[in-house]
This record gives sequence, C-alpha cells and structure tokens, in this order.
Amino acid sequence: MTLQSQTSNLLSGFDHAAFDSNAVFRVLLDAMSRPGRIYNLPINITAPDGLNTSSTAALLAMADMDTTVWLSPACATNAATTHLKFHCGSPITTDASQADFAVAQSDEDLSFIAQLPVGTAEYPDQSATLILMVDDITDNREMHLRGPGIKDTHSLDIKGLPAAFHAWRAENHHLFPCGVDVIFASDTKIAALSRTTRIEVK
Amino acid sequence: MEQTVHNAADTASAYNFAYLDEQTKRMIRRALLKAVAIPGYQVPFAGREMPMPYGWGTGGVQVTAAVIGPKDTLKVIDQGADDTTNAVSIRQFFAKTANVATTEKTAEASIIQTRHRIPEKELREDQVLVYQVPIPEPLRFLEPRETETRKMHALEEYGLMHVKLYEDIARHGHIATTYAYPVMVDDRYVMDPSPTPKFDNPKMDNMAALQLFGAGREKRIYALPPYTKVKSLDFEDHPFEVQSWDDECGMCGSHDSYLDEVILDDKGNRMFVCSDTDYCSERQDAGHRGPQHHDQPLGGPKSNPSSEKAAE
Repeated sequence: MTLQSQTSNLLSGFDHAAFDSNAVFRVLLDAMSRPGRIYNLPINITAPDGLNTSSTAALLAMADMDTTVWLSPACATNAATTHLKFHCGSPITTDASQADFAVAQSDEDLSFIAQLPVGTAEYPDQSATLILMVDDITDNREMHLRGPGIKDTHSLDIKGLPAAFHAWRAENHHLFPCGVDVIFASDTKIAALSRTTRIEVK
Repeated sequence: MEQTVHNAADTASAYNFAYLDEQTKRMIRRALLKAVAIPGYQVPFAGREMPMPYGWGTGGVQVTAAVIGPKDTLKVIDQGADDTTNAVSIRQFFAKTANVATTEKTAEASIIQTRHRIPEKELREDQVLVYQVPIPEPLRFLEPRETETRKMHALEEYGLMHVKLYEDIARHGHIATTYAYPVMVDDRYVMDPSPTPKFDNPKMDNMAALQLFGAGREKRIYALPPYTKVKSLDFEDHPFEVQSWDDECGMCGSHDSYLDEVILDDKGNRMFVCSDTDYCSERQDAGHRGPQHHDQPLGGPKSNPSSEKAAE
C-alpha cells in the first residue's frame, strides 16, 4: 500500500526505451555536431513540474546512475528529482562542481555556471553539459555562429538569454579543449552550442 | 522496462534492439557527444566485448549500435567493398539484431560503417560515416606511454610527428607514409584517420557528413563534425599529395578512383580495379567500360601488351 501511494504520482518515461532514447540522442548528436541548427523534439513525453519536455527527454536519454545531475533552484522540485531518480537512477547533487549534467532556466541566476567542471587539459571530456531551458529558439540573426559543424555561419536567437551568459560563453570558448557544452531546450525545440563554437552577438 | 523490438518475428528477439543494452548505449552516446564537441580528441569509453574478435570492427560496431535507429539504412564496406566477409557479417549482424534495412548503394545509406576507405561518392549532410579504428593514437608508435601521449596532446606538442615525416624525407626523398596519414583537426588535435589510404584524406576535410571513429580494443571514440577543417601534415617544400595511377579501372575505366591491383596469373599479368565496388558498378551501369570488362572485345586497343604476348 505504501509503495502504491508513492508511485501513483509518478509520470511515465519513454513509451519505448530503445527507440525513444535513440531518437532523442540522434537529435542531440545532430544538434551538437551542427551547433546552432534548430531541431524539433522527435517524441512526446510528459515533463514533471520544474522541467520542460525537451530537457526531460534529453535527461532520460542521456543520464543514468553513472552521471550526477545538478538542478537549479527553480528546477529542483520534488516532482523533478523524484522523476529523475526513478527513470534515470541518477544521483542528484546540490554542488554544481560535481555535475555531469546541469539543468537551469535561462531567467535564473546563472552564477553557478562558473563552478561547472570544465575537464582537464589531458581529459577535456570530463566536463559538464549544461541543459538550459528557454522559452523559444529561433534562427533570427541575434547570434552569428562559426566553427566546426557550421558550413558558413548559423544564426541563432534564444529568447531572454542574459548578457551574463554571453560573457561566460566567451570565456568558456577560450578554455578549449576544456569547457562546458550547452544544450538549449525549449518545449518543442533543441539546439546546442559546442565549446568550439565562436559566437558574435549583434 | 519494455525492451522488445517491434517485429520480433524477424529479429533476434532475445537481444535488446541493436544488441547492446540501453545503459551501454547511453555510455557510448555520452562519449560521442563529447567527441563531436572536441573534434579529433580521443574520448575513453567502456568498450564492451562484442560477438566478434578485436580487429574485426568491434569499435565501429559499438558506435553503429549506439547511433542506429529503426528507420536507418545501413551500408558496410571493407576496403571499399560491400561483399567481403567483414562487411557482409556486420551488415547481417545489424539486420538481425536491429532489423534495419541494409544497402550496398552509398546514396541510399543513412549510416555507412567502413573499414579503411571513404566512399568515392560525395557524402551528404544526412549521412553518418562510422570508421573502424585499430590504433586510435597517432603518436603511439613514437611514444608508447599513454600518460605521455595524453600530455603531448594536452600541450599540443606534435614536434615528434613532424620529425617522423622529416625522417621519411631524409631516407626516401619523399613522405613515405601512404595510409593512416596523420591529420591536424581544426588547427588543434593531431588525429589518426584510421588506416585509410592517404588518397582519402582530402575527402575528410569539410565533409558534409558526420564522421565517427570507434576503436574497440583501445576503447576510444573520436569524431569529426561536418564542415570541420582537416589538414594532412606536411612541409612547405614537401606538400601533401595523394596517390595517382597511370592505369585505369579495368572494369569501369575510371581514372580518378582509388584502384586495387589484382594479380591475374603467374606470368606478370595484372589489372587494376576500383576499390569502391558500388562506385564501380554504378559507373558500369551508366555505360562506362574499362579494357577488361566482359563487354569489351579481346585484344582491344586498351589491352596491355603482356597479355597479348601470353595469348600467342
């Protein structure tokens, strides 16, 4: 009975673990290898309070017991932590410097991003991935992106992205090969910024 | 969790989709995302034992298994050919464990797993090329210690590689490295392009398709995002150049594809034929003919003198 009352509030995860996680991963792989190009979330999934659909799908596809997840104050609802613990089995941390995946909303205090692990010169892959929930992603010419994965330039506009983000991102780019990669997640769309991407803000 | 595949009747249903379990695939997928974010850097991953021996493409197979979905069409080539043992068995492996469509046509494939060649036909943005890699570390034969090669990559200390190419010139008068020819990726990491002939190196530069590399025994994954600068190492006075042939393909008459030499008998007769079988058969279907094609008259204008002599 106790068990039932605890699980009755749980939302379901992927309809089909193998196919849905593959579809979400392929979008993330395409997004990360073509920074700034906008992709539609390929599946339907219910998001718990505190997360949106794309960030939920990304975490369910990529996070598991081997990856520590850090949730920002606005994301760290009871529903979200329970959901991630149940479906991913991920340890949830309150220390951003331990994060493999960090999840936040773009209108929050972003000072934590300076603490995210950036990897070491010998193992730059041991860095965090930031999943930033945003209201909308469009290809307006707010940012001009260049670098690997981009033929000439890509245009990207993230609604409500604070200036502090751009300042941090410029610093992050200079750390290469170390650095944090960013996945922008709106309710239906996904775009990514790899650490290699050079950004010109209009 | 539900793990059955959609059409159990046609598939090896005792296995998860594409053979690997979901946690293993997630681990490989995380390594792949890091690999595309740091082009040319070798990401360590927890490579699994696969139902084939090391050296048969266990790294490429694990990368393909993590990437492939039910809607993909898979092509597998071994030294350019679709019909060799390695290519056939890997294609059958995924037809069985993932129930995906397979093809021999480069243009029809969404994922192409390759051993040591890049198809002659230009690849598109919607295609993924997966390389099987035996030794991922380009500096390994110069410095056997992993701790040291890690430091060399971290410090961008690639002088030793240039010394090796210089020694080639000192000894042979030219750079004698013809395959696994080292490349510089996006002006940062020196990368081993796997033992592809250096003929294929220029195709890696600014390729529209995503290129993923898997080394199963060495447990490393690396990647080239599309449109990434890939430069073969060279010197100003000894610029990089690819192989060329005086002969043409005996079947399709191609002058610009990579040619394999085939020994025909013990009298010194030989022919050259395209290493990329799909490219060659597509050209033949389009009416192109080489001197040894069965349509061609015997002793035609192009047949070589030694074979005429042998016929006498």
